[in-house]
Amino acid sequence: MRRLRELALVPALVALIVLGAFVNENFLSYANIISILGSSAALAMVVLAESLILITGKIDLSLESVVGIAPALGALVVIPAASAGFGLELPTAVGLALIVVVGALVGAFNGFLVVKLRLNAFIVSLAMLIVLRGLLVGATKGKTLFDMPEPFFALATTTFLGIPISVWLAAAAFGVAGFFLRYHRLGRALYAIGGNPAAARAAGIRVDRVLLGVFVVAGALSGLGGLIQTGYVGAINANQGANMIFMVMAAAVVGGIAMDGGRGTMSGALTGVLLLGVVTNLLTLAQVSSFWIQSIQGAIILVALMIARVTTGRAQE
Amino acid sequence: MISKKLAATAVLALSALLAAGCGSTKDAARPAAGGAGAEAGRAGVVLPLLTSPFWQAYNNYVPRMAKELGVETLPTVNSNSDPAQQVTDINNLVTQGVKGIVVSPLDSAAIVAGLRQAENKGIPVVAVDVAPESGKVFMIVRANNRAYGEKACKHIGDQVKKGKVVQIQGDLASVNGRERSEAFNQCMKANYPDIKVLEIPAEWKSDVAAAKLDGLLNANPDVKGIYLQAGGVYLAPTLQTLKSKGMLRPAGDDKHIVIVSNDGIPQEFDAIRKGEIDATVSQPADAYARYGLFYVKAAMEGKTFRPGPTDHDSEIVKLPNGLLEDQLAAPLVTKENVDDKALWGNSVK
Repeated sequence: MRRLRELALVPALVALIVLGAFVNENFLSYANIISILGSSAALAMVVLAESLILITGKIDLSLESVVGIAPALGALVVIPAASAGFGLELPTAVGLALIVVVGALVGAFNGFLVVKLRLNAFIVSLAMLIVLRGLLVGATKGKTLFDMPEPFFALATTTFLGIPISVWLAAAAFGVAGFFLRYHRLGRALYAIGGNPAAARAAGIRVDRVLLGVFVVAGALSGLGGLIQTGYVGAINANQGANMIFMVMAAAVVGGIAMDGGRGTMSGALTGVLLLGVVTNLLTLAQVSSFWIQSIQGAIILVALMIARVTTGRAQE
Repeated sequence: MISKKLAATAVLALSALLAAGCGSTKDAARPAAGGAGAEAGRAGVVLPLLTSPFWQAYNNYVPRMAKELGVETLPTVNSNSDPAQQVTDINNLVTQGVKGIVVSPLDSAAIVAGLRQAENKGIPVVAVDVAPESGKVFMIVRANNRAYGEKACKHIGDQVKKGKVVQIQGDLASVNGRERSEAFNQCMKANYPDIKVLEIPAEWKSDVAAAKLDGLLNANPDVKGIYLQAGGVYLAPTLQTLKSKGMLRPAGDDKHIVIVSNDGIPQEFDAIRKGEIDATVSQPADAYARYGLFYVKAAMEGKTFRPGPTDHDSEIVKLPNGLLEDQLAAPLVTKENVDDKALWGNSVK
């Protein structure tokens, strides 16, 4: 039953792919499949990050702002002042490292507020979402950053065996996280904490420390997601990542991650990401009327949820 | 007993206070200030957002143009993409006692409440870039968005003539996005029957544009032209996507895809010089600032305007709802005139 639950979306995904093959002969082409994966890589990293937090029973909405501010700060310390940078012109490697560090620091700060000060995770991260977005607009003066050195785009533009590095990275991250959650003591602890924090504490799990660690890891992953997005788009807009959290939540929850913690798997979350990627691609190839595309996209997600419910016969929480 | 009496007195006092304070927002209405030659007063400028190169340029032009025209302005106010905030911003300016307002509405309908507040106080408003659905404005200063779509259509159509062309659209819920799409499609249908237009609705978002263009090019590798409705957001993702597919060929190459953008930012000019894109429609950020302030000054001085040609290569037209609109010209920038100093994209840093 557990295995069924995590694969609940697969029938819906298969149905969509079959539909896609009929709608456009290029849908199943190698190049198009790579496109779907490449366009989903950034979302996948943030969904992974959010899923880890959701499993522990917390939430972090500010991850979407990390997707913007982390790569932007990394870029600002590298690019010259003439391109709207800080004028520090540090080495590219420092900028790239800073992206992950900024993500981790934001995660640590959120974790501190939620775990140590016992503030409500939803409200705190909502406030942080706004603060970080504002910092990004302030730091860039609202400008779009164009002139980053090539390594900033490398994750999305270089390929290994014909597949973008970003896709390999996301796949590896999901693989490692999935393995940890299923087999490692620390991974199991996340479920225990999400299921019942008091019982987890009684069982000898260092609940606070694990939670703090999860926030830090999630922040760092989102920073990486931001870097992938930067490479994919070729610039950093001051709105980068804005409203992304809705898609992140949709992918995670459609993929079977419980909003109230304790349940969900990485393979499930991954099918959620792929579903959203496939839907966007399919509707574009089908040249659905621009005015109706949003409503159709939403309807397909809704139907996918229903198919998942029927095929597994289990209530979704 | 005592507490009851106290309570009654309190209620009485409170209702008296309420009654005295009662009124409507129209009470303070008064005719526009002063006779001729009197101190004209200050004007307020409301910006829609500051996260686009275009509006940043506009924001930089406002103080400069104000100085040239001799208009005293308050520091600009940014509504940060929030239509409700924009109404609040207008109210705040009214409270600060400005004598004229230049606003760039985020939403053509949601701005009307703000316009009423200003009208009630007799403060003239000039709308820049977006025409309000109703309400009273002294003048609408706006580049002709239909002309953007047509110029892009002609430039692409004349070179492509036959085959597939992609249009990366803006938000179809916005007037500007809708008009560009409609004009582009109509012009293509009327003048170039052999061209098939594919559409990518991208809501002014760069990641959406990249993902959808990426997918569309897989199914249609024979695309011959692309129209970007907003270069500020779509230029980078388009070039990045074409590069990753090996489809970014310089102008003159057999496989070059004809790209026409829209905005007129410096990055587009660079891409034109490199031959990566062919042209862009330069939205007149400088003229927006200049004529927004020009008309608000005229309004504060009590001048009036009628439909007809103006002294600056544009035409004032009367819209169906009775409002006047000065339709500014927007030049098409190609390799030939990309270094023209008069283009605002060449004067910003």
